[in-house]
Amino acid sequence: MTHAPVLPILLPMAAAIALLLLPAANRRAVALVSMLTQLVVAGLLLVMADDGTVHVYRLGDWPAPYGIVLVADRLAALMVAVTSVLGLAALAHACAGSDRDGRHFHPLFQLQLAGLNGAFLTGDIFNLFVFFEILLLASYGLLMHGGGSARARAGIAYVVLNLAGSALFLIALGLVYGTLGTLNLADIAVVLAQVPQADQALVRTAAALLVAVFLLKAALLPLSFWLPHVYTAAGAPVAALFAVMTKVGVYALLRLEVIGLSGAPATAGLLQPWLPLLALLTIAAGTIGALAARRLAGVVANLVLVSTGTLLAAIAVGTPTTTAAALYYLPHTTLVTGGLFLLVDHLARERGPKGDTIDNGPPLPRALPLGAAFLVLAVAVSGVPPLSGFLGKVMVMQAVRDAPMGGWIWAALLVSSLVVALVLARAASAFFWEAAPDEPPAAQAEPALTGRRTVAALLLLVAASPLLTLAAVPVAAYARATADQLHARQPYIAAVLGAKPDVQRERRP
Amino acid sequence: MALLVSAAIGLLTACGLYLLLRPRVFSVILGLTLLSYAVNALIFLGGRLSATAAPLALPGAVGLADPLPQALVLTAIVIGFGMTAYLVALALRAKGETGTDHVDGAPPTDTPPGRAE
Amino acid sequence: MSPHALAALLLAPFLGVPLVLLLQARGRRWAAWGAAGAMAAGLAILAPFVSAVLHGGTVVMRWPWLPEWGMDVALRLDGLGLLFAGLILGIGLLIVLYAAYYLPMNDRLGRFYAMLLAFAGGMLGVALAENMLLLVVFWEITSLSSFLLIAYWSDSREARVAARMALAVTGGGGLALLAGVLLLAHVAGSFELSEVLARGDLVRDHALYPVILVLVLLGAFTKSAQFPFHFWLPNAMAAPTPVSAYLHSATMVKAGVFLLARFYPVLAETDLWLVLVGGTGAVTFVYGAYVALLKNDLKGLLAYSTISHLGLITLLLGLNTPMAAVAAVFHIINHAIFKASLFIAAGIIDHECGTRDMRRLGGLFRFMPWTATLAIVAAGSMAGVPLLNGFLSKEMFFVETINHPAFFGAMGYALPAFATLAGMLSVAYSARFVHEVFFSAATADMPRTPHEPPRWMRLPVDVLVALVLLVGLLPQWTVGPILTAASAAVLQADVPPFKLAIWHGFNMPLAMSAAALVGGLLYYRRRHALFALHARFLPRLASQVAFERAYRIAEFAAMRLMALADRRSLPTYLALFLGFTVVLGAWAWHSATPSSLAGPLPWGETDPVTWVGVALLAIGALGTVLLHRQRLIALVFMSVAGLVVSLAFLRFAAPDLALTQLSVEVVTIVLLLMALRYLPQEAVAESSPALRWRDAALAGLGGLGVAALCFAMLTRPFDTISGYHIAQSVPGGGGANVVNVILVDFRGFDTLGEIAVLAMAALGLHALLDGLRLVPQAGGTRTQDRYPVMLAMLMRPLLPLAIAVSVHIFLRGHNLPGGGFIAGLVIAIALMLQYVAGGIDFAQARLRLDYVRVLGLGLAIAMATGLASWLFGRPFLTSAHGYVSPPIVGSFEIASAMAFDLGVCLVVIGAVMLALTELGLLGCREQAPAQGEG
Repeated sequence: MTHAPVLPILLPMAAAIALLLLPAANRRAVALVSMLTQLVVAGLLLVMADDGTVHVYRLGDWPAPYGIVLVADRLAALMVAVTSVLGLAALAHACAGSDRDGRHFHPLFQLQLAGLNGAFLTGDIFNLFVFFEILLLASYGLLMHGGGSARARAGIAYVVLNLAGSALFLIALGLVYGTLGTLNLADIAVVLAQVPQADQALVRTAAALLVAVFLLKAALLPLSFWLPHVYTAAGAPVAALFAVMTKVGVYALLRLEVIGLSGAPATAGLLQPWLPLLALLTIAAGTIGALAARRLAGVVANLVLVSTGTLLAAIAVGTPTTTAAALYYLPHTTLVTGGLFLLVDHLARERGPKGDTIDNGPPLPRALPLGAAFLVLAVAVSGVPPLSGFLGKVMVMQAVRDAPMGGWIWAALLVSSLVVALVLARAASAFFWEAAPDEPPAAQAEPALTGRRTVAALLLLVAASPLLTLAAVPVAAYARATADQLHARQPYIAAVLGAKPDVQRERRP
Repeated sequence: MALLVSAAIGLLTACGLYLLLRPRVFSVILGLTLLSYAVNALIFLGGRLSATAAPLALPGAVGLADPLPQALVLTAIVIGFGMTAYLVALALRAKGETGTDHVDGAPPTDTPPGRAE
Repeated sequence: MSPHALAALLLAPFLGVPLVLLLQARGRRWAAWGAAGAMAAGLAILAPFVSAVLHGGTVVMRWPWLPEWGMDVALRLDGLGLLFAGLILGIGLLIVLYAAYYLPMNDRLGRFYAMLLAFAGGMLGVALAENMLLLVVFWEITSLSSFLLIAYWSDSREARVAARMALAVTGGGGLALLAGVLLLAHVAGSFELSEVLARGDLVRDHALYPVILVLVLLGAFTKSAQFPFHFWLPNAMAAPTPVSAYLHSATMVKAGVFLLARFYPVLAETDLWLVLVGGTGAVTFVYGAYVALLKNDLKGLLAYSTISHLGLITLLLGLNTPMAAVAAVFHIINHAIFKASLFIAAGIIDHECGTRDMRRLGGLFRFMPWTATLAIVAAGSMAGVPLLNGFLSKEMFFVETINHPAFFGAMGYALPAFATLAGMLSVAYSARFVHEVFFSAATADMPRTPHEPPRWMRLPVDVLVALVLLVGLLPQWTVGPILTAASAAVLQADVPPFKLAIWHGFNMPLAMSAAALVGGLLYYRRRHALFALHARFLPRLASQVAFERAYRIAEFAAMRLMALADRRSLPTYLALFLGFTVVLGAWAWHSATPSSLAGPLPWGETDPVTWVGVALLAIGALGTVLLHRQRLIALVFMSVAGLVVSLAFLRFAAPDLALTQLSVEVVTIVLLLMALRYLPQEAVAESSPALRWRDAALAGLGGLGVAALCFAMLTRPFDTISGYHIAQSVPGGGGANVVNVILVDFRGFDTLGEIAVLAMAALGLHALLDGLRLVPQAGGTRTQDRYPVMLAMLMRPLLPLAIAVSVHIFLRGHNLPGGGFIAGLVIAIALMLQYVAGGIDFAQARLRLDYVRVLGLGLAIAMATGLASWLFGRPFLTSAHGYVSPPIVGSFEIASAMAFDLGVCLVVIGAVMLALTELGLLGCREQAPAQGEG
């Protein structure tokens, strides 16, 4: 499978093209088939990457660093796998009908996946920018899918903010090329290690601008206020897919480890002094936001902030151990929050006009199965034993124990766990127990989601956390191996540039 | 030269940013366009100013400009164009949905606070 | 017996969960048998271990799970564990039986037993955990299941709030415990109890000891309802009585004291321990006993008495003397037995009489003599009447209070006196329970006339009270061994010799007991004065109301805070982003090894042309800003700036950029003009001067930063890889125009992505404007009135010409400035002119193109070109090239990359035209309503 690394990008692209050219009738089939194939490919990549080899794919057969390369290492494979699982669930849920609320849902959805996978796989920083734009533009389209004034409001903010982010990204890239003279990550790693004293400030600043861009995507306080509005405005399947969008920013930050962000003389100590504090505040903000939210979707959206904060708190420390902990926590939090968004849709539809407002409503027809799903997801997301949320939290806590502010991070994680648990208990009480008898099971605006596909989608994401718990040993081992591979850096660089890099450079002007 | 060009780019950026912070979508679009001019120019300057000939690898050509930044800028221009077109459409849609072209969907009032909805 | 059987023991209840859920379909009797089976199975597995453990053995099993993170499946069974496992499963069995009768017939029991078994499993886990993290896991499982069980009758608001309150307190405590355990493991260097228990001195001497102690105690005190965390327990009485009997008196609330006992060897025997544990225990002991008497609700009285007895156990453990610890263990056993039986009895009474209010109950002895007798015996044990088990452990307690090492001199009397007082209080409320329920026929207005319950419903009480008597009469023979084993496990040392006997002769403790009994009865006689006092002075607010109020306040505070932090305004978000970036950038530069802004390179001569250009640029940019409210004019100024930029590209040897920038410029302007028809032409100044200054300052800083960085970059040389591209352009890429070769070959993947973005932009725009109706604003650019014929005449022939031109541009693009993108734009602009000239309808009539398909086709061609290289076993996008000499155009080199470029060209046409037509259609929706999904 020499072409495996490029498949996660080409498959959805091809699917999107097919969806544009084919008649409307069999769109869902095409989309689902493509999605399932991607899942298989993702599995294949995981297996390929798991033996520790870094698979490099030279596009156009040009040698690195002159052409663009795709690099499928453990980290990329992991992210692609998580994305495909989440994507499958979101797509299946959308195929219950919301995909018909507007035009071009399926092509945009496929291209969104192409963008995500591309961002995870590319080994070229400008190509990373291109894939960022792809996944962003797709996300604009998906966010606005179905229309409505709430979406228009959130949409403008989301689009403009991200356009500003893209501009900053380009500025940073211009400076990176203008100083290091290369775009290939591995090559950057080589050059960055030997930046002359006089240029270090410039390079460091360029790196800082890059970090700012990624933190905007990851929604770190104070760049996080847009997120709850956007995620609550989006349709359920879109919001579920968006659960991985913030992780792109986190991923990009992690990926900078390969170029030696924390090691190179020019960029050493760029994050440590302030990132833990802001991550801490992000956890607090998410927790407070969850407490303040009037709608369950709002609660979940704020939980995305909590997970961002948790991940960044761990990454900020920047040791292999913290990265390992973060990498176990990442799939868990992504899939669980995604699952919650789908569940909210199920509940909202059963409650009819009451929607997902946290307030007593009509008795639910499917109280028991949905209640069980809610219990699992709530336990998982709040980090209460015995599910993967707890494991992840314990790992992060142990990993950051001796780091500066470690104690504060502990406090933040524990308090947020408790508050989140209470908020979700309150919601559960309102949704499942406080059935207001006077309200009959309302004549629903939209049909309840009882279709086989949607139920399967929900089950997939509900099962995620228990599975991640049962499979904790292999998953944690993979996370650890990924972290080590990432921090070792040499395997990546050697795989891309060869053992003894011989890059011809010419001095300008 | 370097100083003047940098100043010009700085000015473009500042103007773009100021418009970006205006509360009406149209101004924001203008701002983003100005900003993209500045950004494209900056990337282009990554190849420095010294070059005398366009990057055409013709026999005996010397002093070619650095082609790589130019290619990057081309990509950036196209992407920027797509984004602008989309934002224009979004602005119109928002106008249709909310009846205003204010970026927040409504002129600022003390709307019900802090509800993530 | 292999230690791995412990895993089976732990699993038994959990396996019961799905079992009962399945069985309930066949009827509640089946569910009951299933649950009982699970409990019995547990006991059966436990049995073989008993003798070994009683002889001081400790069974330990270890399955490594996540050793790196200290999480292993490790279980231990020692005396303490055995004691608790026995209580959990034994009483559990009785409760299962009792619940089958207690819960209403229409309840299918499956859900109830499922939760009950889940709890039993969690509780067993706490008792058997060897790995401390495992202990925390099961600890929280008990909190969760208790939450669900309290809210079992979820129709009642009290139950729902009480459940959340219990979760808040016990769950919170559990998280504190987690932190404590993690620290403890860090200090002791292991998560395994058997290792940690051996390192008491190491822990006690460590600087973190106070922190660890407080965190662990938070866990213990919340769970065991110690003052001031006790308030959740009385409210938990909203749960069905079997739950109260099982969780909230016999087992779960004992988890706290279990924890104290468990960590006794590591954390106890310091003054801090004495103060915190002993002090809390003492306060809770008296407070609970005092309040219990005031409760009119039967279960309320029992709840506070439970709190009080838990306080007693805590106090005993806090006394730091070995014998006190033994007494604590003994009292754990006794209390579990008599309190469970009392709760069950209370449940029966409630069940029979339809009320639990002691003011309405009375003279029940006549109706249910047998149940009454049993309850009275149990109550006697609770009061510490001789010959009953409660008496024995209380005697031990009294003994320990006398001449306790920490209390000497005059203080030597304080503790015994205090103990006697507390004893009095417990006698008093026991007396009330017995007297008001079974005898005083004063005001008996009971909803139903009670009679003896069904035999099987009463069986649990029979058994438990039998135990009360057995232990009371033959202590050494019955509990001696397990007490010794459990105490040994607690102390992790030899148990001091003790003699369990009813009669120790006339001595101080006996006197204290007597005093307590007599005093208690007298106190009870004078109770009415006390009640009156409370009715007068202490109108107290129900703690669950307080909890709900507190929660609402927290919610409200959170909302206010969010409202302050998040104004929901895009400009604010942008300002934050800009500010953050500026600060971060400035700090980054500042924190680097200091270097001057200007680099070594000469700044370069400035020629007049550049001066003019910059001047124009400044005019364009500033004009746009100053006049941005007169939108048309602002647009003009902006286009000036754009024009200058594209000229600059030309000036600095970038013809391709100049061409592209220029053509994109044209299309953008047209788009904006078309959009302007539907937007206000003029905007009012709305942001306050202060705000504008803030923005100006931010923007200025941003611009300054970019200028500085740009300058720093321009004055520094750098080493680039682009030499390779120039060198390889012709031999490797088959084109002389290096930029184009990079676009379609070296970095073709970028271009593929770029056209994907373009296509998506068009699709998104299509989705947005599809079916949208907008009324043109007054004074909009008037493209809708009659079209000048001249222009039309002029434009028609232009189209073929434009196409010819663009073909030329396209073909030469690989070697000279040009290429697919520009070619596409040229065609698009030509088509656009047709629209401008002929009007949308005219154009629509003649250009019947589905631009969505054009987009698809373009992408398909580009992609196919890339995939073609797979046929030659090369990676995606590998190009090939060779010479062809078709007529007219003359000989030129053709590269497979040109097919790719064709795709680009088509996408550009499709995207631009889709955008323009959709925008154009906006005006005339009325005539042409949008068709559905296409």
